[in-house]
This record gives sequence, structure tokens and C-alpha cells, in this order.
Amino acid sequence: MKRIKNHGALILVMLTISFVSCKKEYANLNSPTVEDYLKDASKDQLNGLVTGALSGMRNNEAAYLDAVSVIGREIYRFSSADPRFVTELLGSESTTLNNTGFYLTNPWASRYRVIKNTNVLIEAATNSTQVSEAEKKGYTGFAKTIKAYELLLNLNLTYNNGVRVEVSDPNNLGPILDYDQSILAIATLLDEAKADLTGSSVVFTLTPGFTGFSDVAGFVKFNRALAARVAVYRKEWAAALVALNESFFAINGDFNLGVSHQFSTGSGDQLNPAFFPQDQNGEIRLAHPNYATDILPGDDRISKATLRTAAASNTGLSSNRDVWVYTSSTSPIPIIRNEELILIYAEAKIKLGAFPDAIIALNRIRTAHNIAVYAGAVNEAALINEMLYQRRYSLFFEGHRWIDMRRYNKLNELPIDRPGDDVWSAMPIPSTEN
Amino acid sequence: MRKTMLWIASLIFLALLPASLLAQEKMISGKVTDSKGLPLPAISVVVKQTKKATTTDTDGKFEISVPSNGTLVITSTGFATQNIQVPASGEISVTLQEDFARLDEVVVTGLATSVKRRNLANSVATISNKQLQGTAPAQTFDAALNGKIPGAYINANSGAPGGGLSVKLRGVTSVFGNTQPLYVVDGVFMDNSATSAGLNAVTGAAAGGNISTQDNPSSRIADLRAEDIENIEILKGASAAAIYGSRAAAGVIIISTKRGKQGQTKVSFSQDLGFVKVRKLLGVRQFTEETAGSLSGDPARIAQLKQQFVQAQSAGKLYDYEKEVYGNTGFTRNSVLSMNGGNDRTGFYFSAAQKDEEGIVKKTGYRNTSLRLNLDHKLTDNIKIGISTNYVNSSADRGLTGNDNNGVTYSISLSSTPNFAELHPNEFGVYPNNPFGASNVLQTIALMTNNESVNRFTTGLNLEAQVQKSARSTTRLIGRGGIDFYNLVTTANFPRELQFQTVNKGTSIQGLTKSLNTNYILSAVNQFIVSDNLEFTTSAGVTQETGDFNNLLAVATQMAPGQTNIDQGGALTAQQFRNKFQNQGIFIQEEVSINDAINLTGGVRFDRSTNNGDVEKFNAYPKAGVSVNLTRMGLLDNGFFNNLKLRAAYGQSANFPAFGSKFTTLVASNITGVQGSIVNIQGGDPNIDPERQSELEAGVDFSVLDGKLNFEISFYNKKIYDFLLLATVPPSSGFSTKFVNAGDLRNQGLEVGINAIPVLTDNVKWTSSVNFWFNRSKVTRLTIPPVILGSFGTSLGSFQIEEGKSATQIVGLNAPISAKDELVALGNQEPKFQMNTFNEVTLFNKLSLRFLIHWKYKGDNVNLTTLLNDFGSTSADFDADADGNNVPDGPQRIGSFLGGSARGFVENSGYVRVREIGLYYTINKIPRNIVRGVRVGVSLNNFFTWTKYSGYDPEVSNFGTGFSTGVDVDPFPASKRASFNVTIDF
Repeated sequence: MKRIKNHGALILVMLTISFVSCKKEYANLNSPTVEDYLKDASKDQLNGLVTGALSGMRNNEAAYLDAVSVIGREIYRFSSADPRFVTELLGSESTTLNNTGFYLTNPWASRYRVIKNTNVLIEAATNSTQVSEAEKKGYTGFAKTIKAYELLLNLNLTYNNGVRVEVSDPNNLGPILDYDQSILAIATLLDEAKADLTGSSVVFTLTPGFTGFSDVAGFVKFNRALAARVAVYRKEWAAALVALNESFFAINGDFNLGVSHQFSTGSGDQLNPAFFPQDQNGEIRLAHPNYATDILPGDDRISKATLRTAAASNTGLSSNRDVWVYTSSTSPIPIIRNEELILIYAEAKIKLGAFPDAIIALNRIRTAHNIAVYAGAVNEAALINEMLYQRRYSLFFEGHRWIDMRRYNKLNELPIDRPGDDVWSAMPIPSTEN
Repeated sequence: MRKTMLWIASLIFLALLPASLLAQEKMISGKVTDSKGLPLPAISVVVKQTKKATTTDTDGKFEISVPSNGTLVITSTGFATQNIQVPASGEISVTLQEDFARLDEVVVTGLATSVKRRNLANSVATISNKQLQGTAPAQTFDAALNGKIPGAYINANSGAPGGGLSVKLRGVTSVFGNTQPLYVVDGVFMDNSATSAGLNAVTGAAAGGNISTQDNPSSRIADLRAEDIENIEILKGASAAAIYGSRAAAGVIIISTKRGKQGQTKVSFSQDLGFVKVRKLLGVRQFTEETAGSLSGDPARIAQLKQQFVQAQSAGKLYDYEKEVYGNTGFTRNSVLSMNGGNDRTGFYFSAAQKDEEGIVKKTGYRNTSLRLNLDHKLTDNIKIGISTNYVNSSADRGLTGNDNNGVTYSISLSSTPNFAELHPNEFGVYPNNPFGASNVLQTIALMTNNESVNRFTTGLNLEAQVQKSARSTTRLIGRGGIDFYNLVTTANFPRELQFQTVNKGTSIQGLTKSLNTNYILSAVNQFIVSDNLEFTTSAGVTQETGDFNNLLAVATQMAPGQTNIDQGGALTAQQFRNKFQNQGIFIQEEVSINDAINLTGGVRFDRSTNNGDVEKFNAYPKAGVSVNLTRMGLLDNGFFNNLKLRAAYGQSANFPAFGSKFTTLVASNITGVQGSIVNIQGGDPNIDPERQSELEAGVDFSVLDGKLNFEISFYNKKIYDFLLLATVPPSSGFSTKFVNAGDLRNQGLEVGINAIPVLTDNVKWTSSVNFWFNRSKVTRLTIPPVILGSFGTSLGSFQIEEGKSATQIVGLNAPISAKDELVALGNQEPKFQMNTFNEVTLFNKLSLRFLIHWKYKGDNVNLTTLLNDFGSTSADFDADADGNNVPDGPQRIGSFLGGSARGFVENSGYVRVREIGLYYTINKIPRNIVRGVRVGVSLNNFFTWTKYSGYDPEVSNFGTGFSTGVDVDPFPASKRASFNVTIDF
């Protein structure tokens, strides 16, 4: 009996030992990790980060357009699921912009996510032994350009409240800079990117939205177009013209020449969320009623706000025109295009006192949109108003109106639709940044 | 590896054949009766300290050979155990007394050991089959648990067919880790995942993200058949559950299914027929010409709306769409055939069952078909083998409800549809577009599908061999394990004809999930009897659990007309989620029984897991317990107490870090057909630690009045250290969240159970149990700033994890009482206390009335349903003026929200509910030989509720079974059930 007992114990011990030596480790089964990429990334891995950034730039793009267009009184956004489009964004009664509101936190976080991707790209490219120095510069030049653009979009939201520029170490974030420092940092980043791109070699594929801009020379033109926009935001009028000269600006060129976000029905891709069919109910975007009342007779840009079969109303707001800028679920959303560059040219020229040059540019826009050449007063104030009118209709629902009126301290000229509504000048810094 | 080990184990068991024992023996016979003198069949008669056993026949008689000075131990469930010294000669007559206090009930204390309730150091709740499903059967197993577990907070997520409940034992165990208990059925660890059907692709409930917890899936434990279950034991915290390792951090629910009983084969057929109806409707706004016009601010539109209303009114076409959508009376049926029998070596239990239930919304419902075969066989006198097999096929059509950002769910669509809208199809069957919303709810119901379909196979094996036997020592080897495998197919089809499919032109979401869980326990148990007064039980063993989960989800849009196959789509996106783990444990446990009055238990489990940061490190989880039975010790001999026990237990456990929290992953982010990667919004941390938990439980159990009144009182203090929080990080870091070990939590609570037999006469018997329990949680340490989570932000009321506060507090804005952006505590999800009472009154042994009442006192929900209906201008009391201030209630509530107050959304969700009530009549004197008994009954399930809660039902959870239950966003309304039952025993 004792013998049997000992055998039992012995076998149990053996089992335990064999069991203990049987160990496993499962790696992440679902996706690659940043930690892997930072060690020694291959060209394909770096290219994946490039594509990922381009794709990620579209995340919450519609939310951004909705927010700035509603505050800028370009559109109404009615939603049966979320009332805040018609309350907080319009400042109805005592509501204010909330620093936890989705209209702020979602786009803000999506932009910084792309910035994170560009920072990972910079670090991964720098650490990689599998790409040449010129190729590394191509990656960093791309990364810095995109990073600057994404920072600019967030700064457009928070304006005087600033943005955080130094964010490469998540555990040790830099300070939130004020507006002037922020916009300067963005301009500097674009210049650094241009320097990196000079003499670089681009070995990655961009989307069809970069057609004509996907080689080094083309990408520099895109970079300079953004630099021109940043320059007018900074009131650096001469610098804006310099940047325009190095960009794809063409006063007689196609208005839609430029760089855009692309959408497709491909796997893992997105459809254009800024597209809603006409005459919908529930989730809708309507042109602000004064889009149609303020437009000059004959202006073909009325086609961006089509008549509905029935007006839609919500909490005292009503409009009978749908927003019709993005007319299919795969329509591109412009990042920057020639029509804006022509208007930047006009603006810089007005500010530098070169009124005839400015009027040429403005008339280029006017005639193309079926309205007569400019016949108004030729002074800075009048021309600035004319330039702002053209920007309003040319860049409708592309995210400019609110920022433009703010640049010229004209937010008080935006319409108040209901007693107690407010026009906000800036969004707060998200609560989670504090 | 696993297979090899099982082989070796079986070989050992076969090799170690028993040694026979020789002693002076004689045959003895006897009869066992109850207190009324009625013979008791199938009573176990065992010769003490041997394995020799028999059972009584139908006349209560038995015969067994016994050593001359032996003792017989006579046991049966529900009766107090009796020890009989064998007399020199003659027949023995034994009268068994009912064990009202259930002191002799055997309760699991380890992975391979058990102890009688009288000696237990923990409070272990048990639920019998009768309590589980014998009163008023619920639709699914998880729903059948509701209101029955003292110490638990159980909450149904919605009323959608197919279940989906959250079970939280003793408060908040974790915020982001597993909050649900481990379910073990006959030794097999069951998967209880809730797998999303990908409805977010249509609802956009979690806009911007693909993964959503708002798709209202069911929990897979719902597949289980309550009819097959013999009893359930609930180990609520680490002090009892530590030996099960990390998966048991939120407690263990141990389920034993029915086994074969020796004797004549019993065939039983049971048929339920019944109906379900909605528990409560909110009502709809009655429009007038004036109020119809007020839906718009545009003069032309106002005129149009007024005209539309007048036309609808004069044509008699004002509808109550809420009633039309949720007012269906669903027919239910459930048939169960079971067989039970065996001889002295082999026993079997077989059941075949099918239920088919319609829902309160057309085209919704639940169907479950189950087959079970449990076999027990004695290979030799010393080797026993038990096999359990269960196949389940279930199918749930769950409709489309709940939160939504696209205006497509039934409920959100209803919220903006006034009664004068025309949604009915024309003579060609074409549904008009709903001019007041993004979808026509009648069309959606008629054309869409949202189905979860499961094929599940669970099998368990239990081998027990006695390998050593001497006068004082017995050693058994026990091998137990099994597999739980299921295939889940989720099908969500939204044809292109639907109003909201004008952009996507048809969406087909097909999900395929494969889940395989395996586990085994190999252990050796030695029972060493030093003397009659001192006994040691030593157990040691190894365990292993593995899991392999693979979920594929394909979303196709631009569908060919009438087609649902994803390759008929014009655009296709796919997602895959895989999860694999292997846990290994080594345990030892020592139980000492002194005088059958003092019981000491100590044990430790060493656990490691591939889920941990360090996969090779073993973590030790100790437990210990002591119980002192004062009456058995003779310290309390005043005759008042029949039984008085003091007890205390302590244990530790841990919850795994969430899967993948170690890494920062890159997720797919493609554009125009080019593959891309983007950093995940969740940052990883290579140094993440598991959550550790310690629980101290102390209590006193006593019974008085001949065991007719029993009390069980427990206090516990459960602490969770380094709990994981998905902390919000500054989004400028590129991440939105990151797992951190954020602090410590504490749960303290009291559980009081009373079992009583208020009336016991020959013709009337009334048994009653009353339970009272509450839990108080507190965040005792938090290393990061307070975290808002679990709802929709502070303007609508949200949970907040904050040091010094309850873990389940609800905070929000409260203007103008407080400053505009100041957060104030508005409520707490945790109930102040809960009570239940289960009663059975039996008259003449024939008529039995059973009922279960459950009272949840206070505890708050975040109720956003009214707000959504107000914004849609359709709430029933929109035009009412309850406070007489001349501002209609709808606009007043909107105004309060716009003014920056979330106060109105935090609402007391307490209730008193008659969960189950059933009346049964047993006919057991039937002249024909073939039928032994017939039982007929009627029952009502969740029929009566008293609550001040304004939503459909106080039990609700938009976010499923996680931390934040109780958020109410236009859910699938809860239903009540009535059924008629006939059971025939052959």
C-alpha cells in the first residue's frame, strides 16, 4: 500500500514539473505595435505610416466642418440624436461651448492622433537602417508638413486659447502656447519641412488627392500653399506672396486644382461623412437662410445650397435649403485649392495696397461665377469686404467663414437667429488637456 | 500537452486497482420513513468510513452488509443526516427529519473538496432548481437568476429577446477589467462573452469608432437551460473563490446539472404555453392643430403641418406608433422531455428541450433547442467516471433599439415621429418616407434583420479514483475538465429599400465568432482521520485554462437588390478580433475538522497567465477560513439555539490587465485602396500590473425553534488594489486613453439571510426566505485626477471615479443652483439596499403557491429617454404642466437642460417587483398505471412592478454588462410573461 502511495505522489510531482515547464507567450494577435516599428522599420512599414496619416486626416473632418460652419453661421446642423448642434454651438439661451463637447474633443483628438503618427514616422524613419538619408528626409518633410496642417486645424478651433505644439513624448508634453507662438511654430514647421524636402527622395505613394503633387517638387508646392494660408493668418502679407509663388497658385488656373481628402468604398476606407443626400430628415445640414438672401443675383454658387421640397425646422431655426457642396459619398474634401490661393493673393495684395492686382484676382473669381466685375469702392475696407464675400461663397462649407470673420474682427456681423444666441470667438481647450 | 496529461492521468487511475478489505460482516435490513411515517425511496445508506453503500427502494427499504460494530450514515438532500449504530439484531427503523436549516447540505469549498454547510467558513448562496425555474420560468438562464442572489446587483440590459444581464457580486470589482463572475458548469469553465453584431455601422452610436459597447448583444451564458440545473452555488468573493484563480476575481457561479438517480427510470414531459407583453409604455403626445404647427418655425411649413394634422384627424389616421411598435403580444412555448434513471453502477440523465418565443416587437423573438446527456458510471468500486454533454442551438432576433446617432433605431425614430405622420405602407406595400425622422420605424421592423445564432457544445469529464485506503487515510485522485465550444453567427441586414439606406444602398453586417475554452484540474485529495474528533483533508493539484476567441465582422454596403451575401455588396469593410490566453495554476489546500465543530481551511493558489505583463511569473493567491460551531462544541447548551456558528474567511485574488494593454498598437487606416497604419487611440504600458483583490468576510449563522428559523449574517470588506482605469490622457499626446493602475477601491457590505417555516401542519406548509443586503463602495486612493466615464458627459449626467467618493457616483452640471461649469454629485447607481423574499405555501401536499418579491431601494439611473422624446417633441406629457408654472413640461425640461442642468436625468430607479409568482397543482393519484403524476400550473414573470421611475423599466443598460449599467437611452422595452404549464411524470 505504501508503495502505491509513493508512486502516486511521484507521478503527481512529475506532472507538476512537466506542466510548469510548458509555457507560452502570445504576441498581439490583432495588430502590429509601435514598439516594433520604432526598432528598425522597413520601407513598407514607414509607407504604411504615411498612408495611415493621410487616412487619419479624414477622421472627424466632418465634425470639424460642422462645428466651424455652424458657429460661422454658414449652416445649420440638425440631429435627432444630439441637440448640441443647435444649442451649445449657437449659444442658445445660457448654453456655452463646453470643454467636453464632442464638437471640440473629437476633431481635436483626431488631429493629434495624426500628429502622433507623424511623430512616430519621424522617429521610425530616423531609427531605420533600411532607408537612405535622402529617403529619410522625404519622410520627415512629409511628416512635418502634415503635422503643421493638423496643428493649424486645431488652432483654428481654439484660436486665442492656443495649442500644444511639442507632443512627441506622451509622458512629457510641452506647454500650450498662445496664439502667436502657436501660429509661428506652425509656420516654422512648414519651413523646416520644405528644407527637409529639398534634396530628398520620396519613396512613398500618396493618394489620388495628391495627383500632381506626389513627387518632391509637387509636395513642396503643396507645402508652400499651406505656408501662404498661414502667412495671411499671421498678417505676413509679403511672405504670403512669396509662398504663393512657390506654390501651385495660378490665377487663371483651375479653381479645383489642389490637394484633397479622398474617399472610397474600399476595405477599411471611409465614405465622405460631410455628404448627406438632399431632402433628408433627422440628420441634416441646411444652408443658413442668409446664404440665399445675401447672394448676388446670378451667382452660380447658389448651387451649393439647393432648395428642399419642405423646409426643415428645429428649436426656432428653419431653412429650406440643403447644403450641397459634397454631392456624393465619395466626393473629395479639399485641403487647399487654387480658388483659395487666388483669394489669398487678392487679400495680400489689398493689404499691401496693390488694389488693381487684387481686383484682377477678385474679378477672376466673379466672372467665373457668373457675376459682373467688381464695381465697388476701391479702398481697403471695401475690398476686404468684397474679398470676404468671395471667400464666403467660394469656400462655402470648406471651413473658412468663421475663421475669416474672426481674423477681421467681424464676428459681430454674423447673424443672430434667436434672441439669446451667441457667436463664439474660440473654443475652449478640452478639459482633458488640463 | 494537455491531451498527454489527461492520458497519463487516466492510466494512473486504471493502474491503481483497489485492495479489498476483509472484516467480520453481517447483513442488516431496515426501513426509512419521514416524520409522517411515509416511506422514503432513493435514500443513501452508507457504512461509515467505507465506500459500501446502497439506496432505499420505493417502499423505503434497504439491505446492506455491515461490520459488527459499524455505523450507518443515512443521508438525503433536504433531510438531516442520521448516524445509526448497528444493533446486534433485528430490523432498523429510521425516521428522517427535514433539514430546514439545510445544515447538512454539501457545499463546494475547493476545486475538489466540499463541506457541509454547518461547517462552512463563507456565506455561500445556493439556488435550487425549484427557485431557479420552478416558479415562473424566465426566457433565459441569466434572467432566471435575477433577484435571487443575495449580495448581487443584477440588472437586465434591455428587454430584447435572448437575454443580456449584468451580474455583479459584492459591488464594483473592477472598472475596466472583468466585472462578471466566472460560470462553471459541472467543472467546465463557460465563456460568457457578449459579442457585438457590428450594428454601430448603421446606428453610429459610437461615432468615429468601430468598436461599440452600445450594440446590445446578449451574454452567452444565456444559452444554458435552467431546466437541466440541479442547483447553483455562488462564491461571491476572493475569500471563497481564490482557489479558482484570476478568472474568479468577480466571484464564481458553480452550476451542477441533474445527474442520474438509481431506481426506476423516470420520464417527465413538461409543456409551457404563454405570452409576453410589454411591461410598460411611456405614452405618446396627443397633438392638436396648434401643437402640430409648433413643430416648425417656418411659416410655410407651419401651415403645411397644420393642414397635415387636420387631414389625418378627419381621416381618423392619428396613430399610437409606440403601441404599434411595442404592443405585440408574443406567443411563447417551451417543451422539455427528460429521462432520469440508473442502477447501482450507472446513472443517466437525458433531456431534450425546445422553446420558441415571440417578442413584443414583430419579427423579434428567441428560440432555444437543447440536448443534454449526463452519464455516471462506476468502472470499479473505486473508480468513478462522470460525463456531461450539452448541445445548444439558440437564435435571438433582437431588433434595433438603443442609442443611435443616425436616427435609425426603433426608439430614436419613434422619438421624433408625431401621431399624425403616416408610416403605413400603401396598397403596393411601399412604405412612405418618414418626413419627421431619418427612418420609418414600421418599414425598419418589416425589412431588417438582427439575429444572433449560436451552436454550442459543452462537454465535461469527471474521473475520481480512490488510490489508497487504510483505516485512517483515504486518498483520491480527481481529474476534472472539459471544453466549451461555440460558433456564433450574427446577421444584421438592412436592405436598400429602407429610408435610411439611401446613401449606403443596403448594408449587410455578417459576424462569425468561434470560441473555444478548455480547462482541466488534476488533483489529489487525502482525508486523514486522526481520531473521531480530528480530521485532515489535504488537497493539491494543477489546473490549466485556455481560451481562443476569434471574431470576424464584415460590413458590406451598396448591396445588390434583395441580396444579403456580402460578396453582393459594392463596398466591403472587415474587422477581426482575436484573443488567446492560457492560465496555469498550482494549488494546495488543507482543511482541518476538530470535533466536527471547528473547521480550519487554508490554501494557496499560484497563478500565471499569458495575459500578464510577465508571463512566467507565478502570482500567489492565499485564502484561509475558520468556523466555530458553538452548539456542536457544547458551549451553548441552553436549548434555544439549535445551531450557532461563528465564521471568518480571508482570501486574495487578482483580475487580469485588459487584453493588449501592454502595447501601443497600430490599427488599419486605409485610403483609396492603399494599406495604412495609424496609432491606436489607446496608449500601451509595458509595466501594467494586474488588479489585486483581498476580501475579509465574517459572519454568524444560527438557527432556533428546531431549525424552523435560521439566520445567516455576513459582513465583508473587499479591497481592490491598483485597479485599472482607462485614464483619459491629454489628447494632444495622440492618445485618448491609457490603462493605468490608478488606485484602490473598497466594497463593504452586509448580507442577512433568514429562512423560516412559519407554518407547518399536516395540511399546510409555508416556507419562506428573506434576504437583505447592501454594498457600499468607495475609491480610497486615486493617483490621477477624477475620471469621467461610462455615459455621455457631464451635461447629461455621468459616472465619475473620484477619491473618497463612491465608485458608482453620478455627477453632472447643476446650473443655475451651482456655478455653470461646476460638477456636483447628482446620485449614485448603487442601491441603498436590496431585499428579496421567496415563499412557498403548500396545501394538502397538492396545491403550491410560490412567489418571489424583489425590492431594490434607491440607486440612480441616467435616464436620457425622456430628453430624446422631448427633443423629438413627442413625449406624452410634453404639453402638460405638472408644476402649474404655465410652462409646458417638455419645453421646461429642455430649458433646464439648455440652462446647464443634468439634474433631471439622474433618476431614482428603485422598485418593488413581484418577479415570479406561480400556482401549481399536483395530481398524484391517477388510476392509470402509466402516468405517475401530473402537475399543472400557471405563472407570472415580472408582471407587477411598483416604481417611480419614468423610463420603460428601471433595469436598463445602454452600455451592456460593463461598469456603467443604468444608462437609459431609448432601450428595447422590458416585457412581462405569463404561462401555463403541464408536467407529466411517467
